[in-house]
Amino acid sequence: MAQSFVFSKADFDSFFRVLQSLGEVSAPIRVSDQSFAFKQINDPREIAWDALRTILPPKKFFYPPKETLLTYKDGQIEESVSDNKFQVIFGVHPCDLHGLGIMDTIFEAGPADTHYLQKRNHSLIVGLSCMPDKFCFCQSMGTSCATRGYDLFLTDLDDDFFLQVETPAGSAVLPQLPMLRPAEDADKERYKDYWLRREKAFTNGFAPDNLRATMDMEWNNSLWDDLGKRCLSCGNCTPVCPTCYCFDLVDIASLSDDEGSRVREWDSCQFVGFAQVAGDYNFRPSPVDRLKFWYRHKLHGFDDAFASRTCVGCGRCTVSCPAGIDDLVQVVKTLQGQKEGKE
Amino acid sequence: MNKESTLLPCIAVESLTGCAGELLVILENLDKLLPFVRVASFPFAQTANDDGPVDIAFVEGSVSNPHDLEKLKKIRSKSRWLVAVGNCAVWGCVQGGACAKCKVSDMLAAVYGSDSQIEVLESKPLSDHVAVDVKLSGCPINTTQFLSVTASLLKDHLPYITHKPVCLECKLNENPCVLIEKNLPCLGPVTAAGCGALCPSMGAACYGCWGPCQDPQMDAMATILHEKGYDPIDVINRLKSFGAPDHLFQRMSFQYNQETQA
Ligand code: SF4
Ligand code: SF4
Ligand code: SF4
Ligand code: SF4
Repeated sequence: MAQSFVFSKADFDSFFRVLQSLGEVSAPIRVSDQSFAFKQINDPREIAWDALRTILPPKKFFYPPKETLLTYKDGQIEESVSDNKFQVIFGVHPCDLHGLGIMDTIFEAGPADTHYLQKRNHSLIVGLSCMPDKFCFCQSMGTSCATRGYDLFLTDLDDDFFLQVETPAGSAVLPQLPMLRPAEDADKERYKDYWLRREKAFTNGFAPDNLRATMDMEWNNSLWDDLGKRCLSCGNCTPVCPTCYCFDLVDIASLSDDEGSRVREWDSCQFVGFAQVAGDYNFRPSPVDRLKFWYRHKLHGFDDAFASRTCVGCGRCTVSCPAGIDDLVQVVKTLQGQKEGKE
Repeated sequence: MNKESTLLPCIAVESLTGCAGELLVILENLDKLLPFVRVASFPFAQTANDDGPVDIAFVEGSVSNPHDLEKLKKIRSKSRWLVAVGNCAVWGCVQGGACAKCKVSDMLAAVYGSDSQIEVLESKPLSDHVAVDVKLSGCPINTTQFLSVTASLLKDHLPYITHKPVCLECKLNENPCVLIEKNLPCLGPVTAAGCGALCPSMGAACYGCWGPCQDPQMDAMATILHEKGYDPIDVINRLKSFGAPDHLFQRMSFQYNQETQA
């Protein structure tokens, strides 16, 4: 696959209309001075091209914050099925594409989660290039280039877009895009130049080689206590993470007999009730335990099971933590023994 | 009224010292309940009330005078499930918060004069006096939570009531964080969810009206508000406004407790 094309930004409106003909288009829009969110849009002028990270990552389209999984009535259980509405998610950056790839791996692993997959299979993902800010560290996590999770990918070449087609679903749109011309050598040079410039644009990050060993060795570092003491256990760090997938299941009874529903809602390992079990035992009772667990899970833990780390370096947790203790880069550097830093 | 009403489970809706907010929410939703329950007593809404035993008693308000206490004990003795509804009944609300800050006799004298004959008690939540089966906080309570708690109790199920913080609902709504972006003194991190993050969704700080979430990190909350420039005494007053019990503050760092007591 991996065909490449170029089209002029002047033709973006028509490109957008074609996406719209496929289904609802969602893209990052500005929602406050500092924040962006993926929202359904009808006009390409609403797109916030400067958005690097939205408050919630695109996982919300396939794994909604709150979702009814089944309803029961008069002894009959009916599992909810997706309405199969086709969704186009536009403007997803490489970190989030990797995030979606990780979510796909998790939700596909047996038994597959049909609620996620139904929605995921009725979507088209259009990736978009980006220049990092001071919070981005995807480069350190090996997620700075798009390798999965998308159908089409756009690279910003000043007056043009460079379009890469990755999947059959992406190819299927091509006949409707008369503005495309095949990428020529000069375009490919411009493309390579963009990504070289981008590679050099990172100001945040760490040397990742010994990350796993560091996380193992520094389990008892006093840094965890210092950070944990400031932790509010507010849980903001997990819904905003593109790869946090934990949920709570609640059965909601209805007033009439034998009727109700089962709902799943995002949960957070930072809440004290998360690791509370029968007998009132809690295996992660303090904020220090929970924070440390989260850091390990993001930077080391998941490679035990899936041979990959779950942090994609998007920087969302860093900017969403009211206590300022989710500066992963600074924490890793400190654990690695680098003395210089912000604090 | 429903013909078979004598066979239906009975409920009572009673009030101690509170603002009647819960009573209004229950009244607004009474049409949804009526097919399934008989309202034995609801003095706020009906004239004919009986004192017989009930399956569920919803009690609003805090215990703030001897009459409240007497009434509460009677309600307890006639009810299978006693449900404390609203922050007043669950935590003591602003009147409880005030009693945590000032002596009740001083407040009485300041408001009604030193020769007042009014009998008062230090304002406390229901569970300080009687066994409470279910605590449903709110200011006022949330309709969805109220109906689902009632539905569960009618089936003799233990109701599910979230004790996670407001921040969860706030993030699930994808709100920009007002604590971070506007430096507002938002208490969402230490306040129980249930309201749907009403205030932050409107760009305002949560002032904690639902009462504390499970295991609230009061020390971290105070530290962070203090770092944002809020006066430690204001911070503690804000945290204590909605009746959060003293023991939640006992493990706080010395500095704050000392400054509040000064
Ligand atoms: S841990 Fe933080 S930086 Fe890493 S992917 Fe999650 S939100 Fe992004
Ligand atoms: S690490 Fe930060 S965002 Fe996460 S629970 Fe603690 S205070 Fe909240
Ligand atoms: S605005 Fe308040 S409730 Fe919302 S995330 Fe921030 S601190 Fe939590
Ligand atoms: S956000 Fe806080 S103050 Fe506002 S309604 Fe909810 S609990 Fe009450």
